[in-house]
Amino acid sequence: MNVLKNLSQDKLGITSLIFIVVLTFVGIFAPLIAPNDPIAVNMQLRYASPSWEYLLGNDHLGRCILSRMLYGIQPSVLWVFVALAASVSIGAIVGFIAGYFRGNVDAVIMRICDVMLSFPVYVIAIAIVAILGVGLGNILIAFVLMKWAWFARIIRTSVMQYVELDYVKYAQAIGMSHPSIIVKHILPVTFSDIAVVASSSMGSMILQISGLSFLGLGIKAPNAEWGMMLSEAREVMFTRPELMIAPGVAIVMVVLAFNFLSDSLQVALHPQLRQSNQSQQKLKWFKAPAQHEKEVVK
Amino acid sequence: MIKNYIKRKYTIYLLFKQIMIITSMDKFHLIHIKCSDPPINMKVPKNIEQRERAILLKKVYCIIFVVCISSILVACTTTKEESSEIADELVYATVKDINDMNPHLYPGSMSAQGMVYESLVENTEKGIKPLLAEDWDISEDGTVYTFHLRKGVTFHDGEPFNADAVKQNMEAVQNNKEKHAWIKLSTKIVSVDVVDEHTVKLTLSEAYYPTLDELAMTRPYVFLSPKDFENGETKDGINGFHGTGPYQLAEHKVDQYAIFEANENYWAGAPKIKKITAKVLPAGETTLLALQKGEVNFIFTDDRGADSINMEGMEQLVQSGDYQLMRSKQMNTKMIVANSGNGVSPVSEKSVREAIWFAIDRETISRDIFYGSEEVAHTLFSPNINYANVALKERSYDMERAKELLEAAGWTVDTEGAVREKNGKKLSMKLYYDNNSPSQKAQSELIQHSLSMIGMELELVGEESTSIANRRSTGEYDLLFNQTWGLAYDPQSTVAAFTSEASYLHATKGIPNTEEFYQNIDSVLVSTDEENRKALYKDILTTVHDEAIFIPITNGNVTVIAPKNLQGISFKQTQYELPFEQMYFE
Amino acid sequence: MGIYIMKRMLITLPLLLAVSFLTFVLISFSPMEPAEVVLRAQEVPVITEELIEQTNEKLGFNKPFIVQYFHWLIACLQLDFGQSYVKNAPVWSLMGPAFMNTFKLTVISSFVIIAFSVLFGVLCALNERTAVDRLLRALLFGFTAVPAYWLGAIFIFVFSVKLDLLPTSGMDGAKSYILPVTVIALGYIGLYFRNIRSAMLNNLNEDYVLYGRASGLPENKITMHILRNSLQVAISIFCMAIPIILGGTVVIENVFAWPGLGSLSISAILSRDFPVIQAYVLIVAVAFVVFNMMSDILNATFNPRIRDGN
Repeated sequence: MNVLKNLSQDKLGITSLIFIVVLTFVGIFAPLIAPNDPIAVNMQLRYASPSWEYLLGNDHLGRCILSRMLYGIQPSVLWVFVALAASVSIGAIVGFIAGYFRGNVDAVIMRICDVMLSFPVYVIAIAIVAILGVGLGNILIAFVLMKWAWFARIIRTSVMQYVELDYVKYAQAIGMSHPSIIVKHILPVTFSDIAVVASSSMGSMILQISGLSFLGLGIKAPNAEWGMMLSEAREVMFTRPELMIAPGVAIVMVVLAFNFLSDSLQVALHPQLRQSNQSQQKLKWFKAPAQHEKEVVK
Repeated sequence: MIKNYIKRKYTIYLLFKQIMIITSMDKFHLIHIKCSDPPINMKVPKNIEQRERAILLKKVYCIIFVVCISSILVACTTTKEESSEIADELVYATVKDINDMNPHLYPGSMSAQGMVYESLVENTEKGIKPLLAEDWDISEDGTVYTFHLRKGVTFHDGEPFNADAVKQNMEAVQNNKEKHAWIKLSTKIVSVDVVDEHTVKLTLSEAYYPTLDELAMTRPYVFLSPKDFENGETKDGINGFHGTGPYQLAEHKVDQYAIFEANENYWAGAPKIKKITAKVLPAGETTLLALQKGEVNFIFTDDRGADSINMEGMEQLVQSGDYQLMRSKQMNTKMIVANSGNGVSPVSEKSVREAIWFAIDRETISRDIFYGSEEVAHTLFSPNINYANVALKERSYDMERAKELLEAAGWTVDTEGAVREKNGKKLSMKLYYDNNSPSQKAQSELIQHSLSMIGMELELVGEESTSIANRRSTGEYDLLFNQTWGLAYDPQSTVAAFTSEASYLHATKGIPNTEEFYQNIDSVLVSTDEENRKALYKDILTTVHDEAIFIPITNGNVTVIAPKNLQGISFKQTQYELPFEQMYFE
Repeated sequence: MGIYIMKRMLITLPLLLAVSFLTFVLISFSPMEPAEVVLRAQEVPVITEELIEQTNEKLGFNKPFIVQYFHWLIACLQLDFGQSYVKNAPVWSLMGPAFMNTFKLTVISSFVIIAFSVLFGVLCALNERTAVDRLLRALLFGFTAVPAYWLGAIFIFVFSVKLDLLPTSGMDGAKSYILPVTVIALGYIGLYFRNIRSAMLNNLNEDYVLYGRASGLPENKITMHILRNSLQVAISIFCMAIPIILGGTVVIENVFAWPGLGSLSISAILSRDFPVIQAYVLIVAVAFVVFNMMSDILNATFNPRIRDGN
């Protein structure tokens, strides 16, 4: 548990982690925590100001904004996490195959990745929504379909570096089977890289998916989601700007937390970099996928 | 000496680099900054560093400053400045582009077409009045209409408007008959003959009482300069948009704006407002804001009955003192159309449709969503419409009744709050609304909630109005928002549309004894006997009411927000046009 | 150099082919029959089974999948993307202007991103670990976490409503570029300026700087070297930013009512205009590939190490 120990020395990192953990719990147990039914319409309370019963006030249908925020954690954060986990898993499997076995398998996989990475993720999300219809599930499918290629590529690079190491070569020489080499010798060392890559994508994925919900392509009414709440708030942006605050701040905080956590995780997983005086800014990369993958192509 | 030193350093550096790549995350960094290929850090002695930095700093600032300024300048010079002041002209906000202005097809914006093109006669509050025809005679048997055309009228391109032009236009419309099937007149016209320069004879296959009403419509029986025809036709596109109306299309930038200029040679005198711009803006607060800032100064309820800003915003504008709000009298009925012909959907069951009818809280919609500007509607046509004063049973908001209906029809539920089921099929439907109409969205959310209370699941789908119209004609829907067609069209055209593939054919297909029902509609339109007509309308309206095909919500009207000093704002008998030519600034 | 460019372009060709194939496959999953799409576009009022069959026969929609694909590809190469069945116009006549609008926004944003990334990057590098450095980094890092649509709405509220300085939306005049460009730039500067900063820092400590100084090279020459090397990073960022922004302006266009590809595609989805969606996916993907290729070539031009590595 070195990682946790390292992480605990980083105040920002540990705060972010705690924030995310608490948020996850609140999201999962929203039905128990939320003060009101998030979809209960009450036209008498249309745009009511905050009160003790409705701490954040009410929306255009008189629904409790606080409860909607809490229920909104699930689609806005937790489902995004599930989609991320799915695409990282696919990416990891494919990346391991490509990086470990090399040769033709690798070439074919990398060409497929090239093609997948030629489509901006928004565009594919739009195409999939056009075909399958509006819905959060469809957008998540689009993300899983597109993002795995990027993860596969990065994980492959990581794997390739470890495959060359002596102890792996030794393991191969003594006739260990490929799966057990991968599981026993490569997975543990690459795991930290995978964690870093995944955590760094989380923030941008939350932003992108909430953006699609904001456009009305994501979650369907009456369910609550932060991006959609913002789009509802935008309809009355000038008459009631205060409605923009809660969901907007929530998204910013979650994304910041994931970005900070991702940075801290990198340092925590690679403590030797702490000594390097430039490690901090060197490692603060995240987002902008197209950029990372490029060098690896060559 | 120095060379040696550097060499040694470099070897160490290379060594370090190897180690870094193998052991660290540095590779990501390499990937990230692909061309700088950073070496590991080697510190230069502090004192040199600081001195150099000061010098460097100044230079770098200078260069960056120049780069920034020049890039901003480049950005600015590439586009031209435009003032947002509007004087003596109207700029109206529209959520959709005016689209194809071909008056003999349907994709175009009707309010724009209404400015540019004119029909032979006009439907006014006091009945049919002359427009391009000054006078007309109808033969005894009602099959021959002779129109005496207005003299001295020219198209915007200078071509004369005469009997030939009328004949060519009418024939161009008739050559695309299938498209116009919703207007029964198109199926009745036998021939259009030129009698002399200013006289045209229209021969019908049988007497058809709404002939003049249908000739008065915004489209398709309006007139385009024959010079704009392509191969003598208009159905495959046209070369220009020259009508006879008070305004002509001057410029059109798709999805941005369209400019209409006053027709100085307009036969009824040049309009006072010289320029009207239709500016494409997203619905809602953007439009409200643009009005506040004066980027646009006019809005009105669009073709599809969507108000682009909500009532609260309108109130706010009026209170600001720069704008006035004008409302036409009750124009149409806003409703939800239930697709009774959709056999696989629960909506094909009468009891389900009735339950929806009972579960809609119209009072709340009228009070909280429309702020009282629209009254509750209980029937498809309000009783003051011709032939619509029929006694029909009222279905007011009654959740218990709705539940009973569903229970009785076999839609049952085990646990409170779950979705009802029947033979393993869920009581779940889709409601399509216009995504550009905030009020439709709010209504559908409210209705969704009410229906969930009676165990009915409603999925809301916001789409563009074209797509909704498309669904209406293909029958790919359960429920959708719609409205009756307005005073000039009700009831005859709306009722005729019950049988039209492009309109409500799918919605009415599920009525028992459809044969008889459609037969009634056909005969009511050609009936010459007033009493007979009344009886038939009563029959038709009672049937659709009992079957709960058209679930009325409120009575809609046309709302205009205009600058305070704009005078002469009036309304036509149709929700699709506004008489801009009568407006002027004071 | 020439060989590198040739090589890079040759790699791009099969990629483009694959991209177009995937687009074709993707849209062929759409619930509409292609024949029906064509008939709709022609505004045929009643679409019968026979009519669909006739159209299939006439336009080759019943041919093998791969043949259809090549038919479609050839048409696309001639910019014939079919007819939009909502707008009653050829798809290209809608896509062309929209693409230009999006492209203008993209290029101007990229310029601004590069200018400010360099500005902030150099500023931070030269003031490493001072208050300025920390503040700027924190601020820009913060902006990368702000949803663009939210920031856009706030900017409209502040600068258009409260201060009444800028137009709210649409695309007329230079002023209407300011808000969308700022919002786009703020999201990306935070990512890119770090690269400039570390490139600068590395350069400041590079051997050649040390060597130059030691051998008594004039300071301004050294400065030029440092800047030139750092600007390479800037150029490569610029090239990479264009395709990324091009594919991601959908939300911004929606917030600012920008008449570009993003707005067009959203309205196409909401009106189920499949020919437009297909053209949109293809055009953006092709632009993405082409700009990536151009960015690689430009990089290679400025940085011989890359092409030598190949």
